[in-house]
Amino acid sequence: MKAAIRHMMRNRRRTILTLLAVLIPIYFLIVMFGFINSMVQDMFESSTRFDTGHMQIRAEETRATGSALPLMNDPADALAALDSIEGIEWSTVRLDLPALASVGDRTRTVFVRGVVPEEIDPISNMADRIVEGEFLTSTSPGVLVGEELAELLDLGLGDDMVLLGAHPEAGLGAIRAPIVGIFSAPEATIGRTFVYASLDTARQLARNDTAATAIVIRVDGVVGPQDAALMERKAEALRAVLPPGFEVQDWLELLPVMDGYMQILTPMLLIMAIVFFGLGALVVVNTLYLSVMERTREIGLIIALGASRLRVMGMVLAEAGIITVAGAFYGALVGVGIILIVEAFGGIPLWGQMAAYMREIGIPPVLHISITAPQVLLSAGAMAIVAMLAAWMPAWRASKLEPMEAMRYVE
Amino acid sequence: MSSSPLIRTLDLEKTYVTETIETPALRGVSVELHTGEFTAVAGPSGSGKSTLLHLLGGLDRPTSGEIYLEDQPMSGLSKDQLSRLRLTSIGFVFQAYNLIPVLTVLENTAFVLELQGVVRGERMKRAKKILGELGIEQYADQYPHRISGGEQQRVAVARAVVSEPSIVLADEPTANLDTATSLDLIDLMRRLNAEKGATFFFATHDTRLLDRVNRLITLVDGRIAEDQTQTATS
Repeated sequence: MKAAIRHMMRNRRRTILTLLAVLIPIYFLIVMFGFINSMVQDMFESSTRFDTGHMQIRAEETRATGSALPLMNDPADALAALDSIEGIEWSTVRLDLPALASVGDRTRTVFVRGVVPEEIDPISNMADRIVEGEFLTSTSPGVLVGEELAELLDLGLGDDMVLLGAHPEAGLGAIRAPIVGIFSAPEATIGRTFVYASLDTARQLARNDTAATAIVIRVDGVVGPQDAALMERKAEALRAVLPPGFEVQDWLELLPVMDGYMQILTPMLLIMAIVFFGLGALVVVNTLYLSVMERTREIGLIIALGASRLRVMGMVLAEAGIITVAGAFYGALVGVGIILIVEAFGGIPLWGQMAAYMREIGIPPVLHISITAPQVLLSAGAMAIVAMLAAWMPAWRASKLEPMEAMRYVE
Repeated sequence: MSSSPLIRTLDLEKTYVTETIETPALRGVSVELHTGEFTAVAGPSGSGKSTLLHLLGGLDRPTSGEIYLEDQPMSGLSKDQLSRLRLTSIGFVFQAYNLIPVLTVLENTAFVLELQGVVRGERMKRAKKILGELGIEQYADQYPHRISGGEQQRVAVARAVVSEPSIVLADEPTANLDTATSLDLIDLMRRLNAEKGATFFFATHDTRLLDRVNRLITLVDGRIAEDQTQTATS
């Protein structure tokens, strides 16, 4: 070990190069992990908070309802079942209805989302998104529209909108509702198509006093997609207690786009890891191979004196091991350090087209980086293993040297 | 010598084969070496001196013939067994590049003991003792490149004898030394032979050293031309 350290000190430049070959891939991977984690988490949080929750109880679809969700005539039994499940952070009843919105001679197809305004906060930041007017109350007969719809229908605060319910399982209700607020939607599509109303108002439109289309649920302790197992456990528990006629949809069913992203990101990360690790391994092989070549006579002498092949391999691997451990440690330190510094400054703000795109898909235009301890350990551990495997070849070559040939070796 | 030989070779032949050329280095060498001898093998360049030493030391294998070390044939030994044999029974002094550059003189001397698994305290004690006996203890903490060639060879001798092997094989140990230093080194080896009973077998083509050995084997063209016992002079 002492000899290995002295060899490393004697060839500082090569040692530093090998160290960097281990350190840089780990650092890159940790930072990449950090960016991707954060992006996925932002998307997850944005989608689950604004729209879907972590899971939903819905009515089983017994006949085709087109783009409309099947109607629950009375969610009371499902709510009672939900009460028996522990670890539910929050839930609320929602009624989504396809409808025609008519103002003057203009008519558009919209979705009326009936919510309990006092309960919506934990899942949606709608109240903060009001740019004109005010948020709903349970007793408010008015509705909220997005900036885009307001522009399309030339609507202003206080204007009346006629809504005609068009749910295939509900009665054909019609209401006239004043615009009490205009909101800024996280996505333009939402702004064009969603009309927010109190649950009572929406039920009037469905001509059904107890109707709902979903019970939206948030699970305690869920931070991101990495908690999929926890969400699935809760979904399973809920399925077991729900009365017939109801079903549970988990986050993957509710967020198919997210699932798609996840399916792309995992192999993408894997490919990046393979490229980074591969390049690192090449440098490790190269530098250790050079080291063995330069020390051919010395290794020959050591074998001649009676060192076993295993011992010789151990010497080369010890050198690789020291560099690998140091590289993994410092790589992780630098990677995590960068993340902490970036986050201490509140992330990296985006600008221009990228910022606009992020807003469009519902993600704040700030690039955050977050990493978990297992991901740091995985990055550092995997690179360390790759580096040690790469060191195996030069070590094996060293152990196979014939002592007299090696001692005659001239560089 | 009436006792059982330490090393015995029987019709030892070694031919180096390249793609197109076969070069015989040893042609039927049979010799016996006994414990406590101080023997030189001399001869012109290419006579097979180094080849014989390498075969005796298990660093190479003969093309035919057999070597017995303490009555045990070496031909059937695997590479690892030969390594073990070198480690436990044979001390080596090479012509050049004898010392590990990143280890101090003391660590170099103790290196074989470390390979043998001797605990640190014990091996350092023994290494210091032998350095003291050879008069080079003042270099204990120096690295090899800080001391002269003659001193380096002394350290190599110290390392060769520190584990008290059955025999020390030295391949032209004075080849890179001036006359005075060469004589000093040979005298040092003689002293170890006399005082500690260490058996030495060394190759040399330096005729100035030949009157200092008890036995002189002369090789010519891979054959023993002469094997004579003599009274060493100082």
